[in-house]
Amino acid sequence: MELKEENRNGTTLIEIEHIAKIYRMGTEYVHALRDITLQINKNDYLAIMGPSGSGKSTLMNIIGCLDTPTKGKYLFKEMDVSEMTDNDLASIRNKEIGFVFQTFNLLSRSTSLKNVELPLIYGGFGASARHEKAMKAMENVGLGDRVNHKPNELSGGQRQRVAVARALVTEPSIILADEPTGNLDSKTGLEIMNLFNELWKAGNTIIVVTHEEEVARFAKRIIKLRDGLIEHDSVNHHQRALTEEAQP
Amino acid sequence: MNIGESIFQAFDSVRTNKLRTFLTLLSISIGVFAIIGAGSLVDSINGSVFSEMEALGRNSFFIYRVPALNMGHNWRKYRKRKPITYSVLKELKKNMTLAEFVTAQGYSFGTTIEYGENETDPDVGLIGADENFFTAQNVSINKGRPFTQEDIDYNRSFAVIGNDIVVKLFPNIDPIAKKIKIKNHSYTVIGVLESKGAVLGESQDNRVIIPLTEFLKYYASLWEYDLFITIKSQDYESLNDAIDESIGIMRSVRNLKPWQENDFEVETNESLTEQFASFTDFLSYFGAFSGIIALIAAGVGIMNIMLVSVKERTREIGIRKAVGAKRRWILTQFIIEAITLCQIGGLIGIIMGIVASAFFGSLMSIKLVLPYSWVIFSIIICTLLGIIFGAYPAWKAAKLDPIDALRYE
Repeated sequence: MELKEENRNGTTLIEIEHIAKIYRMGTEYVHALRDITLQINKNDYLAIMGPSGSGKSTLMNIIGCLDTPTKGKYLFKEMDVSEMTDNDLASIRNKEIGFVFQTFNLLSRSTSLKNVELPLIYGGFGASARHEKAMKAMENVGLGDRVNHKPNELSGGQRQRVAVARALVTEPSIILADEPTGNLDSKTGLEIMNLFNELWKAGNTIIVVTHEEEVARFAKRIIKLRDGLIEHDSVNHHQRALTEEAQP
Repeated sequence: MNIGESIFQAFDSVRTNKLRTFLTLLSISIGVFAIIGAGSLVDSINGSVFSEMEALGRNSFFIYRVPALNMGHNWRKYRKRKPITYSVLKELKKNMTLAEFVTAQGYSFGTTIEYGENETDPDVGLIGADENFFTAQNVSINKGRPFTQEDIDYNRSFAVIGNDIVVKLFPNIDPIAKKIKIKNHSYTVIGVLESKGAVLGESQDNRVIIPLTEFLKYYASLWEYDLFITIKSQDYESLNDAIDESIGIMRSVRNLKPWQENDFEVETNESLTEQFASFTDFLSYFGAFSGIIALIAAGVGIMNIMLVSVKERTREIGIRKAVGAKRRWILTQFIIEAITLCQIGGLIGIIMGIVASAFFGSLMSIKLVLPYSWVIFSIIICTLLGIIFGAYPAWKAAKLDPIDALRYE
């Protein structure tokens, strides 16, 4: 793989070997993923693309430890995830993975600060540590003055920033974003991609699942899926830098 | 695990589903209300009755014609028994050697007392008493003197009056030596009772005491008046001997042949107290039983609310799982919510029960006894209710697949 030469610090984070995922729908078997082999290194910025039904959501669920593969091996930081129990997966998700969803998925009755604190509750942090870390994460995404607002009092872009803060707050190994701009207008979408770019530059590993070329263009590496197989895996030589008008 | 957050969530679901939650909580409240109300009332009644009984002491016993708690099957047999008359009392007094005292009273309720132009309402209790009444009932004299044996034997027209009568008929006058009228019979006041307040809602001061002989002559002659004889043995050790002695005297007075059974009842203070306690215990267990039935019905309602809540919050559960909540945390969260709901209902029921029993207690003028054991019992029951009926919804929430839950609309 040509990527390996470009690997900035050479640490392998994720190794996926020949995984497949087969669902049973009634009497039929659906091969969502047929044979995927993939390696993701620290500080990668990866876009997973593909039309609907290509298996990109399934791959994202498996990478995000929400699901386990039917066949094959998935090593996360050299831990074998494919054999893990629900509880072990929950603690991997808690410590190592930060999710950003298309529909934000915030708790509507809680303030943005409480939303950001949520992973820390399950991580066993005390109240004052939670508050401090959540405040810092909110400031990092530029919402230090919106901590007591509930999601419905925030704009779409602000909600997604809260979601990014929640993803960042446990200092995870990867940030996994599923169509992060899908529910945002293009200007706000650009702001979020801008934020991802900054996070990447600060050393985070980012995986974005999208079907939009516009979004994928920000990534350093683009993987294209089709019918449960990797069709294309290459470095994005035209990685888009931030435009000045995208700055808020 | 964040218990505070779960409790907050429970209050939130009360707020967002007001009517549904209110109806379910109402059934919990009614159940707990039945338990607390019955428990509190029974404890309060027991408290005042037992303190009355205790005043008589452990070495008192009673002789009377028909059983106190007669369930009716031997009614004919009891009805044929000869009444216990004043002469029986006199025989017992004369012949008992092991008794500290033998005494009996007659009661007539709803009497009017007149003095000059004034008269009381027709609600005064008229008591026919002997010279031992004052000791036996622990009644002290505030002014004047109690009856002596001669007053009784010579059938003297004397009266001892309670404080309510003094207030009504003798507002600014010394009642001693004044003549009052009861149903056209005239009595000289020789004493005033120490004020005693009320027991079981009945004022202990609204009464007039006249000699038992006088009472039986004028106020009990319509029927052959049955006396309820109280005997106190000299001490607790001689109680059984005294009972035997009294039974012997009773049998000879009533000419019973050796093969005939007693045609009267003998009960000790303790056995009467026990009978009364078993009756009130039955009441409180009946209250608890009906309460628990109501609570089980309420539990089904709680389960329904929790199932709806789990369904409505599927996405939230998905989010929590995505950010790392383990199964048992989700399980705990929903069970704590169910317990909190039950406790809110239970608390309302406890307050309702205490208020209701305080209300009835004040009607009956008994001192309210807080039924701590029943309160604790209710709290435990509500907790169990939350665990039992919250378990299934919580388990459903805990086993949700995070991917499906996140996709749920």
